[in-house]
Amino acid sequence: MHNKKEACRNFQRGSCQYGERCKFLHVIQQQPKSNAFGFGTQAISHQQQKPNPFGFGVQNNAQSKGVNDFGNKQSQFKNTWTRSSASSGAPSLRQPDNQPQATNHRCNDPESCKRIIAEDFEHERPLWKLTCYSHWKNSPCDIVGDVSYEELRAAAYDDAKRGLSLQSIIERERNLLNSKLVEFENFLRNPYRGPAGSAAAQQIPFPGATTTVLSPTTQNTVAPQSNVPPSVSSFSQLGASLNTGFSPGPSVFSANNVPSANAFSFGNQQPNQSVVASFPTNMANFSNSSATNPAINQFSAAAISTQNFSSSSIQSPAFLNVSLSNSEVVGREATNVQLGNNLPTTVASGDSNIWLKEKWTPGEIPEEAPPDAYV
Amino acid sequence: MSTFGAAAANHNPNKSFEVAQPPSDSVSSLSFSPKANFLIATSWDNQVRCWEISRNGTAVASTPKASITHDQPVLCSTWKDDGMTVFSGGCDKQVKMWPLLSGGQPMTVAMHDAPIKEVAWIPEMNLLATGSWDKTLKYWDTRQSNPVHTQQLPDRCYALTVKYPLMVVGTADRNLIIFNLQNPQNEYKRVTSPLKYQTRCVAAFPDQQGFLVGSIEGRVGVHHLDDGQQGKNFTFKCHRDGSEIYSVNSLNFHPIHHTFATAGSDGAFNFWDKDSKQRLKIPIS
Repeated sequence: MHNKKEACRNFQRGSCQYGERCKFLHVIQQQPKSNAFGFGTQAISHQQQKPNPFGFGVQNNAQSKGVNDFGNKQSQFKNTWTRSSASSGAPSLRQPDNQPQATNHRCNDPESCKRIIAEDFEHERPLWKLTCYSHWKNSPCDIVGDVSYEELRAAAYDDAKRGLSLQSIIERERNLLNSKLVEFENFLRNPYRGPAGSAAAQQIPFPGATTTVLSPTTQNTVAPQSNVPPSVSSFSQLGASLNTGFSPGPSVFSANNVPSANAFSFGNQQPNQSVVASFPTNMANFSNSSATNPAINQFSAAAISTQNFSSSSIQSPAFLNVSLSNSEVVGREATNVQLGNNLPTTVASGDSNIWLKEKWTPGEIPEEAPPDAYV
Repeated sequence: MSTFGAAAANHNPNKSFEVAQPPSDSVSSLSFSPKANFLIATSWDNQVRCWEISRNGTAVASTPKASITHDQPVLCSTWKDDGMTVFSGGCDKQVKMWPLLSGGQPMTVAMHDAPIKEVAWIPEMNLLATGSWDKTLKYWDTRQSNPVHTQQLPDRCYALTVKYPLMVVGTADRNLIIFNLQNPQNEYKRVTSPLKYQTRCVAAFPDQQGFLVGSIEGRVGVHHLDDGQQGKNFTFKCHRDGSEIYSVNSLNFHPIHHTFATAGSDGAFNFWDKDSKQRLKIPIS
């Protein structure tokens, strides 16, 4: 190590792959020519203290360097201090992702944007699924409806306090997860349904403040399909159709007087082909759903349980009522269970025999909890 | 809930010191006193606990000192700059001020309509800032029951960082709102996150030139405030393991060296230098 004469340029740039074996001297910034990447200038600008505390910025600026290879895997330290998973995960400061600050990305090239989206969904799906998404940095979200860890957990704790069973909590969370996954699927298939504004209609009503589009329990039973046309009105129509006989509760339904069409022909906007097309894909997300019928089976059973807790848990921040270990939320498959956050609290007209039925067909699923007699 | 922490195979791989009488549920925040070696931890078991951390030669010792209880899980905590008082807030939608060093009882000093996710004490203004899921940020004079100012946010507050006069709030749906605390009623700037997924944490540079933002997608963005410095912005990936992408839960700058640490859901923490764009490696001692 002592018979080298020259400084190693790679090391000074922060990434010499030879490490100790390297032929050149690993010294830091002793030669002036180390600023190939503008790091030197950065160091200088660093010293210039902003004159006014909120000038927030130094007057000059370094030539920004685009892609630089950082990620110094072999520094002079033989480090094994990090946990093994981290070290293999490697210090990937490479790929800095320095697209120019296109603050107003306009998707001028839809093809390339589609590719970006496809790649993102292929390689960059985080473990936490209940998230918003944008395909371009600094651009507004394409998919909205963020739910954070703490929110989900707080809702679950709340529900558990109120006496909900763990099972029902889990079912709710699963349903939320499902609808989110479907939302992503749909986006991937059709990223340009409209401006982000219409995407906003897809918001999962986890925080009560957002729209309650997906709220009614019954809607979510057909979640896979109903998410295909991601427009608000189709959900409402679906809900309305399922709601025949019930007075409209939350505002979601208020605007709709769609006659009781077949529950699965949601919305007039989308041709049925879209339903068919999407269904198989959606299947991937659901463990037992190979056809419509099992889906119904599942939710008919689940509907009962959701009815029970949904009515008791309606509150203005319509929190989710599920506690779920992180691993589950993180994207395991789930059964088709409803969410039922903002269920209308109005009671149906009185077909109470509904509670005695074994299986519910879509269209007759009651919105509210069964009366005590049937519980 | 019992499925959590079904104990990991080795829950202490670095043989770190563990405090005595730890919380019985997940820890949501940690805060060291600015003046003494007192550690505060808030937890999902509704408690705020305080230990005195001391050294015994090379060994570390912890002495449980005191604790207070909230009605619901506690999410955030911070010390007052005089090191005498602790603020804690959480799902009970309140912030309690606890003058623990003088042995006082906790008092509620802030209220929101939804759980309070972040709290920060701003000594230069003598105010407490609280960010909540009710989409507001409120400033409180602890002697008054009404907030001094309520700031509307575009969405629920997920993260907050203060380095006077810079304050950055990260909200749901990837908004980042920058405030100049000399003019706190106006947003200085609103930026959409350079990351593509949910914002998880933010940290202001010690020199207030910009901030870091961490997301759930194992990525951290470095953002400078000055328009002329936008070229220095970049993002980098971290806390990934093969195809698993973990979230970056916390970002913290070293007060002197201006390097920073990231902590991730992969159970690891790393140290980075944003100026040389490197991950720092620590030699084995």
